[in-house]
Amino acid sequence: MSSPALASSSFADRLAALSSADRLLCGLLIGFALFALTLGIGYGVAMALARSGVLSFLPDTPYRILTLHGTSAFFYWLFIAQAALLIVLAAGETGRGIALRTFAWIGTVLIAAGFVLSELSALTGTPLLYDANPELGLDDPQVVAGMAGGYLLLAAGLTAISVSGIATILVGPRKVADGFSALGFGLFALAGFLIVSAVAAVNAFLPNLLWALGYAAFPKDATTEWHILFHNLHYLPLMATVLVWYALARNLTGAQSITGAAFSKVVFASYLVFVPPTSLYHMFLEPNLPESMRVAGSLLSLFVSVPTLIAFLIVVASLEAHARANGATGLFGWIRRLPWTNPVIANMGVAMLTMLIGLVFAFVLIQEKLAPLLSDTVFVPGYFHFFAVGTITQTFLAVMMVALPAISGRALWRPAVLSRMPWIVLTGLLLFGVGGIVAGFLGVPRRVVDIGYDGAAPALWRPLMALLGVGGVVFAAGLSVSLYGVARSLIPSRKPASARAGQSVAWTITGATGAPAWTGPVAVLTMVVAMYGATIVAFELMQALPVAASGSSSH
Amino acid sequence: MKQELLLLLGVAAVWSVLAAVYALAPGLGMPGYARVWGGGAVVFLILAAVLGMTRRRTRG
Repeated sequence: MSSPALASSSFADRLAALSSADRLLCGLLIGFALFALTLGIGYGVAMALARSGVLSFLPDTPYRILTLHGTSAFFYWLFIAQAALLIVLAAGETGRGIALRTFAWIGTVLIAAGFVLSELSALTGTPLLYDANPELGLDDPQVVAGMAGGYLLLAAGLTAISVSGIATILVGPRKVADGFSALGFGLFALAGFLIVSAVAAVNAFLPNLLWALGYAAFPKDATTEWHILFHNLHYLPLMATVLVWYALARNLTGAQSITGAAFSKVVFASYLVFVPPTSLYHMFLEPNLPESMRVAGSLLSLFVSVPTLIAFLIVVASLEAHARANGATGLFGWIRRLPWTNPVIANMGVAMLTMLIGLVFAFVLIQEKLAPLLSDTVFVPGYFHFFAVGTITQTFLAVMMVALPAISGRALWRPAVLSRMPWIVLTGLLLFGVGGIVAGFLGVPRRVVDIGYDGAAPALWRPLMALLGVGGVVFAAGLSVSLYGVARSLIPSRKPASARAGQSVAWTITGATGAPAWTGPVAVLTMVVAMYGATIVAFELMQALPVAASGSSSH
Repeated sequence: MKQELLLLLGVAAVWSVLAAVYALAPGLGMPGYARVWGGGAVVFLILAAVLGMTRRRTRG
């Protein structure tokens, strides 16, 4: 986690020293991402209340809300945030300003146009759900064109911003004899991955758009093409997340990587190596998938989290070794030395915890024999919010808590309050997860809001949906406070730069590394044991319950 | 910068092989996979080329 460029100033100092034009662009991108998150949370709360039976809507309305929730939170929040973080981290890493800034502006305008088009289409047309499935829009090609067009504009915008990000990183290493810093190379790879995902978006959505406009036949392979894109889309935010952990661990604690920059670069590159071979498990529900591909997909899916776990080990082991070198004792005693009253650390710590919980259940879902039984149940939202909210969103908010005050000069709003929010989010996620996962095992369908079935549904379904609703409201409340706290720093401060320096939330320990570090391996071992346990329980439950595969291949 | 170049070329090679498998293996019937992984291989080759040119210019 070391870089020659970092010797003289901190990440926050370098962001504060950017030109006003650069800081305007960074602030605008982060603000745009936070706006999309605000909408995503609002629609998500409405959906949670509808599922729990507290709110009732006209028949189509919940599906419109679900479409808006997925479009706003999954596509626009997560990917605008990644575009923003690519630019912010690249500029903060090199300290030399944003290169090809015009590209970044063009990208921002394209994404804004896509956002308006997607939201209007989802608000006014037939609800297609967030994957913009053209089969649901056979009678309403206009909304298919709107949703596909919006996502294609998003892809074009991400490409333009990635070009600017790549150029920004390339400006940096000219004075560095041995190449990029590890983070610089990770960002360079992430930018390439964003561009590849834009290629996948064109592959998925252009045929839909051409059909909707009357220029091509109906895209009969739309589901398969969506799966390719979806695989990229859920890998990308995890890669961005571990890059942020890497950056924050170094910049907040001063901890250097115990494995060295060269190994970290290999780990970041391994994300790209593992992406294509592990994609087959998304096809397990396709009836025409050859048996040989099912077997290959099952084996390859075991590697899906390898890069994330290795990156997790590097970050945790580096923090632990650094803390032990400074006197921490006991297996977990070093954890108490972390500044948990700092909201950045609290967000990051809870994000790592929720990642381990989410991985346990992700491995249950991607197994070939269980995927057909669980993929269309509320098991899916029950587990993936651990990743989407607990891990990724809280990590992105954590780095924004460092970046925005540096960019705007306005101190972070009430750090003591913000440091408690991740625990509220975790509590909500556990309630939501227990409700969703257990209900999924009991067969509660994922995309059916009224689960009464005229009184024929099992009695346990309703209280589990109530638990899911309560959990959703609790984590949304905690997340909203964090979002508000971050967004307050969007407003520039008129105080002079010297006054801003004291407002940093950074925490620094000094000293050598090289002490033993067991917590990371113990955490991964515990997760693997839990994974096996959850899988055994899942198989036993599935054999005991009268559940049949429901057959849709959407994720 | 040699390590970065080798890593990017390695990534492009993996993606190229996967694209070729999807394009040429009989019975797979998933041309979209070949297009995306092939497109990705091209992207990472271009990035490697850009990095190589930057390295040469820096040394020069």
